[in-house]
Amino acid sequence: MDPNPLIGERLRRKEDPRLLRGQGHYLPDLTLPGMLQLAFVRSPHAHAAIRRIDTSKARSGPGVEGVFTAADLSMRPIEPEFTGENYHGAGWPALASDRVRFVGEPVVAVAARDRYLAEDAADLVEVEYDPLPVVASVEAATRARAQLVHDAVPGNSFFRRDHVQGDVEGGFAKASLIVTGTFRHQRLAGVPMEGRGIAAGRDRHGRLTVWASTQTPHMVRTGLARSLDLPESAIRVIAPDVGGGFGPKMHLYPEDVVVCAVARALNRPVKWIEDRRENLLAMTQAREQVIEAAAAADRDGRILALRASVACDTGAYSVYPLTAILEPMGTAQIMPGPYRIPAYAYTTTAIATNKCPIGAYRGVGMAVGVLVMERLMDKVAAATGLDPADVRRSNFIGPNEFPYTAATGLIYDSGRFADTLTAALAAFDYPAARREQAERRAEGRVVGIGIASFMEYTGMGSKTFSRRGMTDVPGYDSATVKVDPNGGVRVFVSCPSQGQGHETVFAQLVAGELGVDPATVFVGPVDTDAAPAGSGTFGSRAVVAGGGALVQAAVKVRERATSIAAHLLEASAGDVVLVEGRFAVRGSPERGVTWTEVARAAHAQAAAGLTAGVEPGLEASNTYDPPPATFSNGAHAAMLEVDRETGQVAFLKYVIAEDCGPQLNPMIVEGQTHGGLAQGIGEALLEEIIHDEAGQTLTATFMDYLIPTAMEMPGVEIVHLETASPNTVRGFKGIGESATIGAPACIANAVSDALGRDVDALPMTPARIVHWLRGRVSAVEVKA
Amino acid sequence: MKPAAFLYAAPETVEETLALLAEHGADGKLLAGGQSLMPLLNMRLARPAVLIDLNHVSALDYISASNGEVRIGAMTRQRMAEQSSMIASRLPLMAEALRWVGHPQIRNRGTIGGSLAHADPSAELPAVAAALGATFVVTGQAGSRLLSPGEFFVGYLATAIQPTEVLTEVRFPQIAAEAGCAFLEVARRHGDFALVGAAAVVHPAGGGRFRDVRLAFIGVGPAPVRITEAEAALEGQEFDEPLLDDVARLVSDRLDPESDIQASAAYRKHVAGVLARRALRAAAARAGGSR
Amino acid sequence: MTTKPRAPAAERTVAFAVNGRRHEITVPVRRTLADALRDDLGLTGTHLGCEHGVCGTCTILLDGQAVRSCLMLAVQADGHEIKTVEGLADGDTLHPIQEAFWETHGLQCGFCTPGFLMTIEAFLKENPRPTEDEIREALAGNLCRCTGYVNIIKAVALAAEKLRA
Repeated sequence: MDPNPLIGERLRRKEDPRLLRGQGHYLPDLTLPGMLQLAFVRSPHAHAAIRRIDTSKARSGPGVEGVFTAADLSMRPIEPEFTGENYHGAGWPALASDRVRFVGEPVVAVAARDRYLAEDAADLVEVEYDPLPVVASVEAATRARAQLVHDAVPGNSFFRRDHVQGDVEGGFAKASLIVTGTFRHQRLAGVPMEGRGIAAGRDRHGRLTVWASTQTPHMVRTGLARSLDLPESAIRVIAPDVGGGFGPKMHLYPEDVVVCAVARALNRPVKWIEDRRENLLAMTQAREQVIEAAAAADRDGRILALRASVACDTGAYSVYPLTAILEPMGTAQIMPGPYRIPAYAYTTTAIATNKCPIGAYRGVGMAVGVLVMERLMDKVAAATGLDPADVRRSNFIGPNEFPYTAATGLIYDSGRFADTLTAALAAFDYPAARREQAERRAEGRVVGIGIASFMEYTGMGSKTFSRRGMTDVPGYDSATVKVDPNGGVRVFVSCPSQGQGHETVFAQLVAGELGVDPATVFVGPVDTDAAPAGSGTFGSRAVVAGGGALVQAAVKVRERATSIAAHLLEASAGDVVLVEGRFAVRGSPERGVTWTEVARAAHAQAAAGLTAGVEPGLEASNTYDPPPATFSNGAHAAMLEVDRETGQVAFLKYVIAEDCGPQLNPMIVEGQTHGGLAQGIGEALLEEIIHDEAGQTLTATFMDYLIPTAMEMPGVEIVHLETASPNTVRGFKGIGESATIGAPACIANAVSDALGRDVDALPMTPARIVHWLRGRVSAVEVKA
Repeated sequence: MKPAAFLYAAPETVEETLALLAEHGADGKLLAGGQSLMPLLNMRLARPAVLIDLNHVSALDYISASNGEVRIGAMTRQRMAEQSSMIASRLPLMAEALRWVGHPQIRNRGTIGGSLAHADPSAELPAVAAALGATFVVTGQAGSRLLSPGEFFVGYLATAIQPTEVLTEVRFPQIAAEAGCAFLEVARRHGDFALVGAAAVVHPAGGGRFRDVRLAFIGVGPAPVRITEAEAALEGQEFDEPLLDDVARLVSDRLDPESDIQASAAYRKHVAGVLARRALRAAAARAGGSR
Repeated sequence: MTTKPRAPAAERTVAFAVNGRRHEITVPVRRTLADALRDDLGLTGTHLGCEHGVCGTCTILLDGQAVRSCLMLAVQADGHEIKTVEGLADGDTLHPIQEAFWETHGLQCGFCTPGFLMTIEAFLKENPRPTEDEIREALAGNLCRCTGYVNIIKAVALAAEKLRA
């Protein structure tokens, strides 16, 4: 394949001038004539039977056009398909009819002239509940004779998998040391700055047009068609500008189905904008796991075997399209990571509770798996007296061992794990940092250094999803490249942007393949009527899958253009080369035609005298199913200081080395890394969705759910390595989730190092840190 | 998240305000800077029938000094006070505390009186009022009442202001030029309400000793807490480490905070002691200089 | 300025200037300023991120000062001058702060960006030569979930430089 001269360019973003001027067009900005706004009456109970719903007062409220219960609309529950074993799903009703299963679950929808009036009427709806026993934790849900969240989910177990590969028993039997831990990871919320939102209305053909703030327009269309019992051809889904996604916007939600059903029932456009309280109650949440893990090692710190038992509190429903297995399987699967671990046994479970469902969030599964593995690595270091970096080095899979089949069954494609760590530690100046730490400690200060190495699966193809049993996810993505008669290029890719700059990077990629100016390339919004089918944007896949499809489509277009140019130049296609946007005969650069001339000829075939039978026009579509996965990797290093008395953490230094293969646009790679780090810092130190025993959410505002501000974010140095995947188009790997995966582990290691004790629970709040520190202070006298 | 319906009135004088309160007091709610009330309205946690907007009562927007006092009109914006040279020179404790109040966007609208009348137990200004022994001027149609902090703050989000009254002015005794003061707090993030905050004022008594020590805390009770026993222990003393350790312990022991999702009671007690020590040390270091 | 009826009312007519243009609108008194800008005036560049005054996404300038427009009622804007993100650029020419954001990749999804721009506009008028610590503190009242703030901080420093030039 010819080199693409624009790969690696820091092109400024094409979408920015619009967004900077306040001319973005996000879902809340959409208004249509006669549009109504929805407000939902939501369950105040974590678990209750609905005894009676009275909507009569609400119906007569000013500006109210309709009040709907489940009985008023025909909607099938949202239920993902899953083909694996040991799975018991349960549909998520669009509106609860007989039973509510978490606080915030929608029960009644009110459509009114504006949101104020809709909320007024929602206040007038009366719902009588008979509270049922609540299971608000894995412990409560797995007790003998525990209340069932769903009658059809025995033991509240959505899913369980037991896996053994290699001689685990033998590994533990011959080990010189065994390190263990019980790791507790809190529940998180994705909280994009724009919450969810959806609008729908019938067009003049009677089809339903849906605008959705989503990462996955095509899968939303499939899910809506199923819940509304419509053919997919009767639904068009458009993603406008989307104000952040981070995972939760890849799911189909009850509110989405209700908006469409109400729009059909009233024959008026209807919009629902999620407010922040709804967002923190009812947008899918993330993580919440307890993991028991043990690693067996020899006296040189080499891991012989690994055991893990993962329990994930997956909330009340198994989400579409990925199901409840996503988080607990992700954790179990990534745990061995970049290390040569010959034997691995895990049990992983998804447990139903009366809480908001768990879904995708940046680093899903992997952030927790990496936390566990990297803490175990540090425990091995402590037990052997070896440096944590050396323990990792002696366990890394070597660069010549690929393809490498891990004890999980995953097949790794490539990576230079030791080089990545070395690059991070060189930029960090590890020896100098250790000296500085020693000096500060001598002054009585509490300073820690943490490192974390990790790898991550990115850009997964259909084989991965079908092997997992997640058959609702296509796994492929598609692209169409159209060259217009005047030479302008339009591109449609099935992966929408939620801030990752697809208008820029896809234009950059295709312009490089075609040898045109990226300014002449228009990247269309994802509209299921215009963009070819595909999976969407999640799991660090847009450049791998969508970009791969785009490169292949562009190559097809270029080949056709070359043959047309050959005809125009009266040369053979093999003699025509594309140089600086111009097709010329090899060796005679003066004999050439421009893209515009070729495009014009392609569209006016007869006039150009092209051979009859050649397909007119100049466009190509392509569908690309990436390999099961390509693996990016990274290493983080941090030095931080803990205020011994208040437990507050201040970063002194932070370095990230990342290897996502060839960087299409390093500026955007860095942006993804910065943002991912901020989320990882929030995960480590600040963020936590808290429920009480009754399943009430105690963190339903931004005063309680604390995401990092500019004051909490350290300066960070990023080092890039570029190890191309042998399996993907142009060797691309994904980068979207990387920093979020590495940061919590790195920071937990640094805090553990600072405190001189194992910290295996997140978030590491000041109050907890003081508690941990004082535990130590009582044993070893330390003068303030 | 939109407010429930209410009626809105915008009086221009205190008299008009009081007349409106007399008519609607029980169902009415005064709107000052709105930085605490508006979120409650948007979340429908507050549902007044009548909202009485004080923002046109221009007579309540002033900072003046007389007789050793700084008088601040209740509708003075926090940002105005923060940037006031009079506050900087005569009430440096307030200037320091204001920088911890939310963010500039909040302080641009938020008012001195609004924050005090809202009486959030974690808010900064109540600590300043408690430490300095401010006088609250609460006005009704029968005239004004002067209240001490102990009389004004009656509980969690509760003050002695009656439904027919309005807080019109707060008077702060001027801090002597040779005094040192400090305001410190620990919050989860900068700009968040304090988990614990401490205000300290000390006056040099010669020979490295201090007198007239004030020590007030927020985030550790339903209202700001002054610990007079600790103040007494410091009176006329040199602030050496053993004394400060004793005071820190005393502060921790005296307080009885509650746990919430952000921090446990034990943490709050502990950090109050830590902040007492740090604030006293900082105030002592600043004492004796000229501002 | 329209007269301020002192008697309680459910609806009011108010007049204010937005980006130099005078508007007179009749609104229910409970309508927030943010909603009036977006829904009554069609200025949808001001976004709502939390509606309880924490995230700063809805930040506008009121008489030159940065304020949260979700924490003001539209009726309270009566007689005031408002500036929104739509008022920053000079025709086809981006404002130096917007330029700086573009150059440094200071935005990703762009949803929080208008609020940041308005906060920074007010901040750099007050402090044309900020240190990095001052920049961080000035930005702390605006939440961004995409950028990790790293490039926003760079953008503010660059914008300050451009504005001084």
